[in-house]
Amino acid sequence: MISLENVSKSYKNGVNALKNISLYIDEGEFVYIIGPTGSGKSTLIKLLDGEEIPDEGKVIVADTDVGSLKHKHVPLYRRNLGIVFQDYRLLPSLTVFENIAFAMECIGQDKLSIRRRVREVLELVSLEDKAKSFPNELSGGQQQRVTIGRAIANHPKVLIADEPTGNLDPEMSKEIMELLEKINEKEKTTIVMVTHDSTIVNNIKKRTIALEEGYIVADIKKGGYLKND
Amino acid sequence: MIKFFKSIPYHTKTAFKSIARHLALTFSSASAVSVTLTLLMVFLVLAGNVSSFTYSIEESLQIYATIENTLTQEEITVLQSEIEAMDHVVKVTFSDKEQELESYIGNNDDEASQRLYAAYRGEGNPLLNAFVIEVDNGNNLETVSKELQDLEGIYDAAYGGDSVVMLVKAMDGVRIAGGIFVAALSVLAIFLISNTIKSAIYSRNSEISIMRNVGATNGFIKMPFMIEGMMIGVIGAILPILLTIFGYSYVYNALNGVLLIPMFRMQPVIPFAVYVSLALLATGMIVGMLGSFFAVNKYLRWKR
Repeated sequence: MISLENVSKSYKNGVNALKNISLYIDEGEFVYIIGPTGSGKSTLIKLLDGEEIPDEGKVIVADTDVGSLKHKHVPLYRRNLGIVFQDYRLLPSLTVFENIAFAMECIGQDKLSIRRRVREVLELVSLEDKAKSFPNELSGGQQQRVTIGRAIANHPKVLIADEPTGNLDPEMSKEIMELLEKINEKEKTTIVMVTHDSTIVNNIKKRTIALEEGYIVADIKKGGYLKND
Repeated sequence: MIKFFKSIPYHTKTAFKSIARHLALTFSSASAVSVTLTLLMVFLVLAGNVSSFTYSIEESLQIYATIENTLTQEEITVLQSEIEAMDHVVKVTFSDKEQELESYIGNNDDEASQRLYAAYRGEGNPLLNAFVIEVDNGNNLETVSKELQDLEGIYDAAYGGDSVVMLVKAMDGVRIAGGIFVAALSVLAIFLISNTIKSAIYSRNSEISIMRNVGATNGFIKMPFMIEGMMIGVIGAILPILLTIFGYSYVYNALNGVLLIPMFRMQPVIPFAVYVSLALLATGMIVGMLGSFFAVNKYLRWKR
């Protein structure tokens, strides 16, 4: 589903974000990406969602060579993806309902199925009573759940989550994780989750890939957080 | 293409929603558009009227052609239709020598002169029958009057000579200068309006990248913004249009349709005010739409 072959990426300011990374993630997998700040996690996500182009190597997601996409084709490619941003990125002038519906409207779904699916998704992320609220009327956890709802509305093949629990209390984090697992199991969605949260990684064991200074330093199939010794 | 037309109602709805939810932003950009269009309107009205003045000055320029005394009434009628058939001639009015004398007498205020000239009434009338000829364009006064002089039966033809030619040239110059001025101001207005719209959209450039993030194509993102820009242009045009229609007809009625002297005829309210209004509306709409098109295009390129 996702494959990176000898991918390197450096920025204009001289930062080498990723150095010769090769990685393969299968369909239906649930993978954690961990690592300290500046280890290249965000760059990896930007390469996957087409925001950045690799300097070298190939990024293939769902049979698409992401790096060679034309600017105007990037959004079309992103329809295969659900992306959960750490900073939510909800449209401020749209209600919760409309934010989730927007993702479906822009791929040309009909009104009826949009309404049905948005209700379904709202129920899944337990926000039925907030459908008419605007993002700035919600708490961080609620906004995070809206972005998850928006990300899964179109039944994406891959769900990329950038620190989905970063701004949440442990109780809420647990709920989000249960939600992601449910999505992974029910819809067979491949999930790539970037996280800092060692409790989650240790308690809910999944394949864990550790990045450090642009290199993959560990790829543990059975999971568990790295002990720094 | 069918998909495009089918999506218009959706995008229009989205645009209206966005206008309603960004009311303050809509209001501020629309009022900036209003100010610009009002400025444009004032100069359109001025230029339109100045050009109308120049035409009415030119129209009042006539050729005065006197007719040989030997011509009979039938010959004069033939001559008149001959002149009417000439190029550039719009109207030929015959004025016989009695009428000429009466108007000559009428031109004198004091009774002594009037009594003196009145003595010439009847057989002793020294004046000639005449044609008063109007031409289509001031620039043709000279040619027509030369042709008239060559005509059999015309004693003399006069239009005022060089000073009139210069006047006509000056009027042409005024019209061209007015046209250039309005054109330059239109460019300025277009620039101001599209910049207003651009800064309104700038405050929402994060929305544009979010839309791309969730899979909206560039066209899908652009459409509501373009409709919104168009609507802002229309809203901004409302005030200047009202000002044109009511303000101009107020001024027109207050001045009885003339400025200072009867020769400066103002443009009649209908259709002039309607034309100006339509021009303002079109400017607001088209510039608003194109302004947001270019602005969104620019911000679309900021992120992949």
